[in-house]
Amino acid sequence: MKHTILFAVLIAFSTWASAQTRLVGRVVTAEEQAIEGATITLANQGYSTTTNDEGRFSFTYLEAIDEEVIIEANGFMSDIVLTQLVQNQVTDLGDIILQADLLAEVKEEVLLNLNEMDLNDDEGKSQSVSSSASASQDVFNSTVSFAWSNARYRNRGYEQTYEQNYIQGLSFNSAERGQFNFSAMGGLNDATRYKEVVEGIEANNFSFGSVGQATNYLQSATNYAQGWKVGLAGTNRNYKGAARATYSSGLMENGWAFAAQLAWRYSPYIDVKGQIGEGITYSSIGYFLTAEKRWGDDMRLSLITFGAPTMRGQSAALTQETYDLTNQYNKTSWGHNNYNPYWGYQDGKMRNSRIVHSYDPTAIASFDWKINEENHLKVAAGYHYSFYSNSALTFYNAPDPRPDYYRNLPSALWDGQIDKNGNFIYQDANGKPLGNGGTINGSYVGPSINDDTYQAMVDLWTSRDNKATQIDWDALYAANYANNVNNPDGSARYIIERRHNDIQEAVANANYRNTSIEHLTTTVGLELKASQGIHYKSVDDLLGGNQWIDVDPFAERDIKELATNIGLTQADIENVKQNDLRNPNAVIGKNGRFGYDYRINMMNAKLWAQNEWSWNALDLYYALQVSYSSMQRTTDMLNGRAWYLAKLNPNNAWYYLADNADAVLNGQAVPERMVGYTHHFIDPAFKAGINYKVDGRNQIKLNAIAETKAPLARDAYISPRVHDRAVANIYRHDYARYYAGIYGTSALEEYFGASQKIVGGDLTYSFNYPLVRGRVTAFYTQFWNGTELNGYYDDESRTFVNQSLTGINRRHAGVEAAAAVKLGLYFTLTGALSIGDYRYTSNAMAITSAENGMALAENANGPIYELRDSVLLKGLRVATGPQLNSSLKLSFFHPDMWFADITVNYFDWSYLDYAPARRMKGLFTGTRADGSAVNGWYGDQYTNAIEKDANGDVIYDVNGVPTLKYPYSIMSQQESLTSSNPLHRFLVDVSVGKLIYLKDRQSISINLTVNNLLNNTHFKTGGYQQARLPRQTRQGVDDNKNSVISPNAWKFPSKYYYAWGTNFYLNIQYKF
Amino acid sequence: MKKILYIALVALCAACTPPATEESKVFLTEESAQELIAEGTILTLQEFKDTYMTEKGNFLSDTSLYRTRATKDGINYLFSIDTISKSEKPIYIRGRITTDDQGGNFYKSLCIQQIVDGKQQALRVSVDMGSANGLYQMGQEILIRVDGLAIGRYANQPQLCMPSYNNNIYANNYEQKIGWAPGRIPAAIFKAHTYCIGLPDMNKLVYDELNIKDFTSILNLQEARNWDGKLVRLKNVHYTGYYFTTSGTAKCTTGNPEDDTNANVFAPTTTNIGYPQTRIIEDASGNKTGISSSEYAKFAHFYLPGADQNGIDNCKNYVGDVEGILGFYNDNAKYDPAYDDWSITIRDLDDLQLKDANGQLWPRVEYKK
Repeated sequence: MKHTILFAVLIAFSTWASAQTRLVGRVVTAEEQAIEGATITLANQGYSTTTNDEGRFSFTYLEAIDEEVIIEANGFMSDIVLTQLVQNQVTDLGDIILQADLLAEVKEEVLLNLNEMDLNDDEGKSQSVSSSASASQDVFNSTVSFAWSNARYRNRGYEQTYEQNYIQGLSFNSAERGQFNFSAMGGLNDATRYKEVVEGIEANNFSFGSVGQATNYLQSATNYAQGWKVGLAGTNRNYKGAARATYSSGLMENGWAFAAQLAWRYSPYIDVKGQIGEGITYSSIGYFLTAEKRWGDDMRLSLITFGAPTMRGQSAALTQETYDLTNQYNKTSWGHNNYNPYWGYQDGKMRNSRIVHSYDPTAIASFDWKINEENHLKVAAGYHYSFYSNSALTFYNAPDPRPDYYRNLPSALWDGQIDKNGNFIYQDANGKPLGNGGTINGSYVGPSINDDTYQAMVDLWTSRDNKATQIDWDALYAANYANNVNNPDGSARYIIERRHNDIQEAVANANYRNTSIEHLTTTVGLELKASQGIHYKSVDDLLGGNQWIDVDPFAERDIKELATNIGLTQADIENVKQNDLRNPNAVIGKNGRFGYDYRINMMNAKLWAQNEWSWNALDLYYALQVSYSSMQRTTDMLNGRAWYLAKLNPNNAWYYLADNADAVLNGQAVPERMVGYTHHFIDPAFKAGINYKVDGRNQIKLNAIAETKAPLARDAYISPRVHDRAVANIYRHDYARYYAGIYGTSALEEYFGASQKIVGGDLTYSFNYPLVRGRVTAFYTQFWNGTELNGYYDDESRTFVNQSLTGINRRHAGVEAAAAVKLGLYFTLTGALSIGDYRYTSNAMAITSAENGMALAENANGPIYELRDSVLLKGLRVATGPQLNSSLKLSFFHPDMWFADITVNYFDWSYLDYAPARRMKGLFTGTRADGSAVNGWYGDQYTNAIEKDANGDVIYDVNGVPTLKYPYSIMSQQESLTSSNPLHRFLVDVSVGKLIYLKDRQSISINLTVNNLLNNTHFKTGGYQQARLPRQTRQGVDDNKNSVISPNAWKFPSKYYYAWGTNFYLNIQYKF
Repeated sequence: MKKILYIALVALCAACTPPATEESKVFLTEESAQELIAEGTILTLQEFKDTYMTEKGNFLSDTSLYRTRATKDGINYLFSIDTISKSEKPIYIRGRITTDDQGGNFYKSLCIQQIVDGKQQALRVSVDMGSANGLYQMGQEILIRVDGLAIGRYANQPQLCMPSYNNNIYANNYEQKIGWAPGRIPAAIFKAHTYCIGLPDMNKLVYDELNIKDFTSILNLQEARNWDGKLVRLKNVHYTGYYFTTSGTAKCTTGNPEDDTNANVFAPTTTNIGYPQTRIIEDASGNKTGISSSEYAKFAHFYLPGADQNGIDNCKNYVGDVEGILGFYNDNAKYDPAYDDWSITIRDLDDLQLKDANGQLWPRVEYKK
């Protein structure tokens, strides 16, 4: 009876099942390897789905009509299959083979390399990296991710911190800096080959995401085609040669699969001045091992490890003067922009002073369990230790060794010869005319500059004199050897220090998906991360010196100021300059730690849930996330400036030394590792979206997000090398109720006062016809209350200062569009356009304090240790690459496996990054927001009252001369990076490739990509203002023959990055 | 494990760190110096001054642009610049560095001495290089190629230099200084012209032991110019606690050196004008001269030897040797040498070996609010 009933049920079920109109198939590579995550779209009915880990897809409940099936996958050429669906029958398309997009593969490799090169952790300002290396199937992103990378295009103008990068579902954006380290997988193109990409604010099944792109790299062994793959590459970029080998076992009968890749990249020193990469050396060995065990079709365990120990030399951003002086040496018809000041000859051999060492050994275990058809659980755990360090020359009681130090350039002769408007002085202080000046090497030189001296300086630069324009290593050794004789126990004059910014992270993730309710997919995710940033300096090379003595050179220089203003004793002064009071005047040998040694401990947890509803004409999703994060600084060094600041502010000593303050001030013992306060943050986020399918070919999507983000540890501490103090908003957050009472605000307002708030949305229309497909998206995102930390040498105070900015508001609005049109059988024309308006919408507040604690100004109430002023940002453009990007690409594909494309790109609206120090309100009004005068104050000798004008601004400075007001014209205009010559805004790229199939599924592929084909060497990819402003001099004369203060705003000019000239990447690969 | 991984990284990178360059490759040896010299000409410091430093200078003879000022005899000039054309055959001078800017009392200038026939010759070198002692240390012998540079006099102080336009109206007697003047040699140019011969040797520095009167009595301008820049030692002198005024001398105060230009420290503020501050020393015979210090010197706000918050009464109790650079600075609009044109510039406080009757060195105390 039982069997009869069962049989009846089975018959009924199969009848019901077979009564459905279905479409099934499998998507595979040319090697018959399943492609997971390929998107299958039914153009006429509007359905879409993705392939599973076996490459299979299935549609049910279809209308029996003629259907156009569009198959797309990352890294593959799209395909279209036409089929006729039959009522109540299953149409099986069988294996659909997608051809690998060879050019896309190579381009991604170039892109990863570019991102690695741009990463420069310890610079105040570094080159903006191009947007995530994740080209997706989307016609816009697949076109622009490579084509616009040379211009350092950033998706919608967002920084890298808004892009999320995952590996096997584990978040690998650094908790401290917010960025993903692309060099972790340097050269391992197979480790990054397979991925799922979510464009901005969309439903996302591996994370909640943010406003930017989210990428999940998939590294399970069964993704990789069985067999061997070996390749060789040659390029003239920052490395010259590469070799790779990959082996994959495929899925074996015992359920195991293994894949491994070894990659080697190398460049010797490029000892040709003017050539791309001059003075750079490169060496990297990467390994990638992945193993997978399957238990049936339901359970998969992946074990993965990778790492790429890398050593690479660096090059620098330069002032325009430096470019102009050096671009004629070894010039081509267009000149070049390849001068690199970081190298020099040592004993006749090239040596770079800035060498990055990086290595991110990573281990991941992930487990994927299809509990049943409706429930799916993925869990993963990982650990990685990121070694990252950069070397730099440092010096003590010796001249600055950098050849491009401003005093070493011809323009240093202008010092004192420029009037308040930035013009050369044409008359002397007695009013006598000086003459007309002249032109030397294309630069106009005023009449007060001696032509011969100027010419001698120019000659040194244009001839690329080794001593003047490169690091004079032999002179540095000579200085140390001489010092060993005169001062054998003293500090070496020059050393190479290594600045370590390591981080170790343990990550875990759980992702549960449920589809038990019809039309609904529910995903719940939990992300956990424990991180520790490890920061210290070590002696990399003593350069022949006997030892390095660990005191702070800046603090030592400021001792007179400390002694006279603060009333410290000599013993106190000795303390201030110590980097570790428990080990004063420490004698440091090679590899010894010095300067600072601190850690940032961070905990992060995210719990999120997402519901995706899907109906015939409508998809709808909404998601909620709650994040917890914390940060805590610990240090092994008791810094003298921290001690001094605590002594200066005994009631607030805890700011600097946390719970150790009393013990330190009373001379009692403190723990070896001093622990700072922990700051905790909770941040909510919500997003939702709707996708209306007008028909199978036209869709309209609307997405929105609202979230708060805790400040990154990078931006949270005012001077983490010295003390524990965080930016002011964090304390108000920590004691929200207390401060709410003081300021009359709400506790909630104070609590979230430290976090950034983001609200954004986008509206997309997409279309997909046989001959043309594409999309148009409008987006708008508002950021409130951003935080940023800067540090620079302040000439006015003659010391290093830290500047924290809070309340940075900005808006990113724009339109992006792309369309691909098929032109006959072989050609496709793709156009892409992004027009944005990314700008600051309010001024910010800056708090500036000296790292050594000295007073930076004074008013009638006494010395001011923390300057408060507005930073005039409102209306400035955000400097994250061009805001107008466009390209036209003509692609060619022949079924004989020839690939080619040519892309013409046009970029505009690119702007220089601002330096807050140059946009302080006080510079323009003479008075800061805190009431102090920029150049001191001049009080009545009896009443001490400050004389002010009708606007309340100080009239006279400390010397009794009119208060300095920087000419607005010099300071306030945001400089465009776009060339005035329209032709120089174009970059042209060409790629060509050929895939040759051999017998036994063997193949050879050859690809050549040429960037900047027309050798446009005038294209600025980025730049920044130097924060350093000169100490005001009192030379110069105005029209009334009165003395004025010449601001010399030109003295520390902006620095720029230029796109490389013509460069290529040639790749040959053999699969067997 | 972490260590093993790090060692792997370091092993990869070790290849890129070259071994230290040997001493013999970064300094000229005497032999290699002679080889260089053999390709050109070498002059003693005195020959160099005598050959190239003219009275009025060869740079911009147009006095409307270059305001030379003559002494009252109408022949001798306070300021001059003589440029030395670059020649195919190099012209060299050599000397040993006698100054050190670590103390902050020398700024962007150094002095060299050369012993010729047992006698000291000296020259100032004006270089636009902060902390120059890092590369050019005291006791270091250097060889300088002088063609392509200039020699000039600033307020009658001879110096190796390059022409520079001075528009500073805040200097004392600025009217006579505005215009082209001997300026600092840009660091890059100086480095290109200069070689270090061997390691520094402080023991080879020679001090001329003088009495104050030996130089303050010199009224011959040419002779005064030749004495400028010498490394000297004055014996049995002490501070008086006084400073020079336009009409004579005055007693230093006990004021705050941050705002009192006459405080009893080495160099109180000049209210940002930047001239050196002079404090008077005296020998047993009552001869006086000044010790000149910069307000930017690290010891600027240290009390004078024997002085303290109560005054200067003890200054005379600390007697002994003073070492430093003899300076002749003829800038008092009088256009003729005078005793108060002379001063000694100490390199740091170790140059003051002043002791009390018990042989105790003077206590170094810095002013405190």
